Amino acid sequence: MFLFRVFLMALRSLWVHPMRTALATLGVIIGVGAVVAAMAIVTGMSARAEAGLESMGSNRMFVSPNVQRRGQRTIGNFDTLKLEDAAAIKKECEAVRYAVPQVGSGGLVRFLSKNTNAQICGTTEQYPKINNHHVSEGQFITATDVQSSASVCVLGHKIKKELFGGRPAIDETIKITSLQGGRSFRVIGIMEEKGNVGFTDLDQQIIVPVTTAMEKLYGLKTVSVIIIEAISGKDDDIDLAKTQVKQLLRRRHTIRAGQPDDFQVQAQKEIVEQFNTFKLMTGVVLGSIAGISLVVGGIGIMNIMLVAVTERTREIGVRMAMGAQRGDVLIQFLVEASSVSFLGGGFGVIMGWSVAKAIENATRVFETITTPMAIMLALSMAIVTGIISGIYPAWKASRLDPVEALRFE
Amino acid sequence: MGSTVVRALDGVDLSIQAGEFVSITGQSGSGKSTMMHLLGCLDRPTSGEYYLDGDLVSRMTDRQLAIVRNAKIGFVFQTFNLIQRTSAIDNVAVPLFYARKTRVRDAAMRALERVGLGQRGSHKPSELSGGERQRVAIARSIVNEPKILLADEPTGNLDSRTGKAIMEIFHELHRDGVTVILVTHEMSVAVQAKRVIRMRDGQIVEDRPMDDATRNELLTHGGAVAPREPAFSQPQAPAAPRMARPVKVNA
Repeated sequence: MFLFRVFLMALRSLWVHPMRTALATLGVIIGVGAVVAAMAIVTGMSARAEAGLESMGSNRMFVSPNVQRRGQRTIGNFDTLKLEDAAAIKKECEAVRYAVPQVGSGGLVRFLSKNTNAQICGTTEQYPKINNHHVSEGQFITATDVQSSASVCVLGHKIKKELFGGRPAIDETIKITSLQGGRSFRVIGIMEEKGNVGFTDLDQQIIVPVTTAMEKLYGLKTVSVIIIEAISGKDDDIDLAKTQVKQLLRRRHTIRAGQPDDFQVQAQKEIVEQFNTFKLMTGVVLGSIAGISLVVGGIGIMNIMLVAVTERTREIGVRMAMGAQRGDVLIQFLVEASSVSFLGGGFGVIMGWSVAKAIENATRVFETITTPMAIMLALSMAIVTGIISGIYPAWKASRLDPVEALRFE
Repeated sequence: MGSTVVRALDGVDLSIQAGEFVSITGQSGSGKSTMMHLLGCLDRPTSGEYYLDGDLVSRMTDRQLAIVRNAKIGFVFQTFNLIQRTSAIDNVAVPLFYARKTRVRDAAMRALERVGLGQRGSHKPSELSGGERQRVAIARSIVNEPKILLADEPTGNLDSRTGKAIMEIFHELHRDGVTVILVTHEMSVAVQAKRVIRMRDGQIVEDRPMDDATRNELLTHGGAVAPREPAFSQPQAPAAPRMARPVKVNA
């Protein structure tokens, strides 16, 4: 009951100078807002990406050119993987069930008066099996489409909505414009809604035959990646598949013993670990920014509380004369500092949630998720900031000599 | 101060009985404010003893002194010292708050009614006249039903008519059994008590009961009005007070 009354007294004191209170809380509002927004974005991103990764199974591997960045320089060659490498892997590596070559780049897509940007994915008829991503309408590209470099396409869920809305899209013709110019494609299917895999939004893709993409859209002689599925998810089978693929490619690319690979093979597990590392780094960076904001906010609160103690020196003296113990004065000012901070935290949560929603609506890539845990954590951080910032002013107030305080002008 | 020893009180030996109405008077620097601080348990003597209601308060800790102030002493100041932007009733309730009492509003309202301000409980100090503010301060000082009421220049900031009204309240409280100790430099106020203690240079130079003859004498001859000094607003000699012999206040 005493603490509740102290809290009410604190709120009354804060209301005496509302503008000053608002400015003092600014740092805390920004810090807490940053924490809430960051956690909402990272949680949303992760949920979508992890769901996508999980749905694809754990026995996948990715073969890509061995290109590394060293500062500003790029070391390696992007053009080492050929279409025929994929066929060879499928044929000769017994531990491999599927080997699907893929190329991808951006393109502008148009249907009648509607334009949108899309990620063009050139692949083969085995894409649905290896990615566990199937058509919901029409049909997928066939082996014949790949062999004949047919100008057909399958639209991602979001692309279909953006270009066609509710009307049917099958057998309609769209135009895809790339660096090579514009080409017309007939829509033969629509993909089911899938979400993100890692950083790729599969619903924002348009799938075309890999040969069509290479020859007609981008003028490529090599592929960007070969997606491989091992015969099972067991670690032994995955390792065996990895070894067989490496040996085959080294032979096909005539790489001598001792020379480094001109390709790299990454298991799905490694990709997940990379993503987790990215998540951690993002969290650390955003957390640091939020932490700095809270420190600045805490300094602001400490400053205002010190001013309040000086302004109210005589009041403190009167309270002591009325029977306030030093502990009572300490608690009063600590509660005031925490209340300021808590209010800032409350506003910060609202601001953070709003920023996350704004980003969600602007990017339309993933849904941001603000969890009760994130709100509790943010508010707790705000209160702790208030307590730490308020300790020195509260101690100073409690150590005042009543006689000197009563004399203070 | 520095290497100089300043004795704000020097060899003071005083006893005040329960139910007395005492005024302590003297010129600026006489030591009456220091005496007020000691009697009100706001400060401790450098040496000597102070018994309040049988307890040796001069050896108590800060925490114990705060408890004594809350339970046994009520203060009234020259400048009222109400908490701004807080209603009259909440101002009066402050001692109850630190006494951890419940049902504070009822007790605060009763105290306000006792000083004739039952209708003004929701008003803030800025909405009250000087006399009304001092009455709120008096209500605050008696809300915990203290044994002693210590008033430091209570009429110093009031006109003579309002001052009279305030003094009447002190008389009423005295009649109800409260021990009233008034500190003032105004002889016209001091002689309204039942006993006048005059101080000079940290010592008691006169201590006598009040009757009409004494009153006239003090007003005419011994009561030259000291220069007005706001009691708590000017720095006094900062050295701690020294009392050679015990002061007893039996509340």
